[in-house]
Amino acid sequence: MHVLEHFYLETIVPIEVFGIDISITNLTVSMFAAAALFLTLFILLALKPKVIPGKRQAVIEMLLTFIKRNLVYNMIGKKEGERWIPLIGGIFVFVLANNMIGLIPGTYTPTLNPIVPVTLALIVFFIVQVTNIRKHGIRGLLRTLAPAAVPSWMYVIVAPIEVISMIAKPFSLFVRLMANMLAGHTIILVLYGLILYFKSYYLAIPIVPFALIMNLFEIFVSAIQAYIFAVLSAMYIGEAVKPKH
Amino acid sequence: MDPKTAAMIAAGFTMGIGAIGPAIGIGNLVGKALEGIARQPEAAGQIQTAMFIGIAFAEAIALYALVVAFLLIFVA
Repeated sequence: MHVLEHFYLETIVPIEVFGIDISITNLTVSMFAAAALFLTLFILLALKPKVIPGKRQAVIEMLLTFIKRNLVYNMIGKKEGERWIPLIGGIFVFVLANNMIGLIPGTYTPTLNPIVPVTLALIVFFIVQVTNIRKHGIRGLLRTLAPAAVPSWMYVIVAPIEVISMIAKPFSLFVRLMANMLAGHTIILVLYGLILYFKSYYLAIPIVPFALIMNLFEIFVSAIQAYIFAVLSAMYIGEAVKPKH
Repeated sequence: MDPKTAAMIAAGFTMGIGAIGPAIGIGNLVGKALEGIARQPEAAGQIQTAMFIGIAFAEAIALYALVVAFLLIFVA
């Protein structure tokens, strides 16, 4: 299984604070590189804003309009959506940058290590529950377990199913993101590993174009998965924010 | 048959059978979305958005099967 060595973490600079290991691994380096890349890109694009946008500023405005209209206002509504734009935009750009950095050969994709999507899914889970409690109180939290169109004697059956779905939604967010990234990169690594396994370079003639096509498909999948993560988090927050019966 | 071999065979069956359902589901979904766009081309943007969200939900089930297959190969 030494082909899948790309998926192992290697410590580059060991740092240890009070017994907790926060050393610099290749995951950290990839995450910093992704953040620095997108930060410089956005700063360069939005450098001198004018009222009538030039070509560079129009790109940033397109991105922001996409986040505002398609991601937030569609799912949460115009009035409440104002305060959720930074969170949903941040989640979208963070997941997009971390997915895309893995396409450069030799780097590590942060989102395929289970820790990174678990953290994001836990953030969304806690935000949904806390928003529910803040807006509707503890009674509101119990009311989500009892949808309106159900006769009262069926609550015994429906309530556990609702509790399971309350836990399963962020879990599915995490599994979807991690497994999509893991599967894409595994296919490419296994294809290259076939050349090493059969120990003949003639096998490279059909395999390299196929791996190139898989890489292009990975670009598409990275963008789609970032969009899906942001849209689903916005949908769950929108469900928690809407007034209930 | 030692457990390692059985785990490998089980992983193959898991991913093979587990990909049938989501494939049928996604095919149905995209077909209905295409019908909707053909009936009313002005709503193509909204239909496309809803189609992508539906595809993500259906694909998540296939990825649960993939995760189980990975667990069988590498951990058992």
